[in-house]
Parts: sequence; C-alpha cells; structure tokens
Amino acid sequence: MSQPDLRPLPGTQGIDPRGPRFSAGITAVLLAVDLVLGLVGLQLAAWILLAVIAVLFLWGAVAGVQKHPYGALYRAVLRPRLAAPTELEDPAPPTFAQLVGLIITGLGVILGIWFPVIVVIAAALAFVAAFLNSVFGYCLGCQIYLLLVRAGLIRRGAGTAA
Amino acid sequence: MSPLEAVLAVVGLIAVTTVVGLIWKARTGRVTTPARATSDNVVTPADVGTDAPFGEKATLLQFSTEFCAYCPATRRVLGALAERNDGVEHIDIDLTHSPELAQRFNVLQTPTTLVLDGSGAVRARIGGAPKRPELEASLAEILLGETRAA
Repeated sequence: MSQPDLRPLPGTQGIDPRGPRFSAGITAVLLAVDLVLGLVGLQLAAWILLAVIAVLFLWGAVAGVQKHPYGALYRAVLRPRLAAPTELEDPAPPTFAQLVGLIITGLGVILGIWFPVIVVIAAALAFVAAFLNSVFGYCLGCQIYLLLVRAGLIRRGAGTAA
Repeated sequence: MSPLEAVLAVVGLIAVTTVVGLIWKARTGRVTTPARATSDNVVTPADVGTDAPFGEKATLLQFSTEFCAYCPATRRVLGALAERNDGVEHIDIDLTHSPELAQRFNVLQTPTTLVLDGSGAVRARIGGAPKRPELEASLAEILLGETRAA
C-alpha cells in the first residue's frame, strides 16, 4: 500500500490540517452566540464571552495551535474517528491566524469597555473569518501576512529565495 | 433587538458569508491567460533573484510566503508535475525575502503561480492552490507549442 506524502516543512512538526478547521468551527459557533447576545442587548454577557474567546486566541498565538485546548479536543475525540490525513500541514499559518483573531477580538474587548457596539462589530468580523476558515478553508491570516509583506512591514534578512 | 431579530440577523450574516465563501472557492486556483505574450512580460531567473535555471520548455514559477496554508501542497503538486515532464522546471520564491517581487508581479494572494513558456513569457496565471486539470491542460498546450516551434 502506498503511503501519502507526509512531508511537513523542514524543521517543523506537521499537523493534521483538519484540526485548525475544527477549532475555527468551535470559535465561529461561540462568536455567533456572542453576536446574538450583543444584538439582544445583553452587553455584559457579550463582552465577557468575547473576552473568553480573545483569551483562547491568545493561548493559540502564544503556545501554538498544537497546545491549544481545541487541538487537544480534536486529537482526543475527532481524530481517532477519521481516516488518516492525506497530508500534513505546517502549524505556523494557523498559529499566525490565532494572532490575527486575537488582535480583532482583543480590540473589541478593550474598546468595548467604552463603546458596546464595538463588541458586536469585532464579533461579526471575527465570525466571518472563522466561518470562512472552517467551512471553506480560506486563510485570512495568510492574506494579511502577504499584505504586510507587500507594505514592507515584514522583512526578513537575505534569505533562501530558491 | 428582539431575540428573533437577533437570530435572523446572524442567520443573514451566515448566508452572506457562505455566498462569499462559495465565490472564493469557485475562483481560487483557476487558470487565467494574460493578453497575448509581449516582450515586457518575459521573466528571467535574474528577475526573481534565483540561480536556478528556468525550464527549456516551460517553468512553473510559484510565489509563496512562510504563512501560507496552501503553499506546501502547491509546492508538491508543481514539483511532481515538473518531474513528470521533461524540460519543465518548478521554482518557488518566498516573497518574505523580496517584497518588491510581490509588487512587480502584482501578487495579491499566496500561492500565486505563473506558467512561463520556453522563452520565459507569462502564458498563464493561477491565484491559490491550482485546480489540477486546468493547470495540466494549460501546461500541455504550452508544451505542444514548444514542440511545434522546435
């Protein structure tokens, strides 16, 4: 039986690409609930839930997606019931996406202290990103990273263009 | 807002986001053909800062970054395609190290792949993970042209 090509990038441990999409799905559901709370006027509840979501993004951005509780949940509950992944993925892009999520929801939490409507706006933006990632595999973080490179805000030393 | 209105608003947002996602899914990875090849859309290895020679018949020129969900998979697909076809090379350029290339080639998403013919002229462009049948058809057409010209 031929094995699929499972090479991750050199020097990195590949992850099952379905893990981050599962995590994004949970995040999208929480953000949808948060949006409903905000829209019906339960401002404190909406703010607290957004803060919890922001802390979970912080966890993923700092510790990496492999050490995130959703990643552990995926490996414990879902992964054993699925077929082996056809290919492994570099954990760096989803970890960067956690940082993007942290910035959006973090701004919502901070500005939401004074302007409750910002909580709803941040939850809606983060929901769109998480939903597109989970359902369609669209990576907003990757897009933002390229735009930062284009704007000259990210630049690494002379490298390995080959 | 009443609870019913709030739920309807969120359902509406889900519907709009789904439409956006479906449009993205349909468009990503499609092969587009630029207007007729002219001398100013010829690319050389020096243009993209690589020492690796381009293919005699065709080159699959991939632009990537380190934070790119579909770049590694695209790298494998293009690498295998180059291996299967004589005179075809696959070159992968990391834009993190050369943002000016992103400007010059107007790269708005990663991966973006340019398919060059034997003279280095851009014959096709693919944004996102390539749809394989379209890419293979486009490459076959270029190779056919190269064989006729030879």
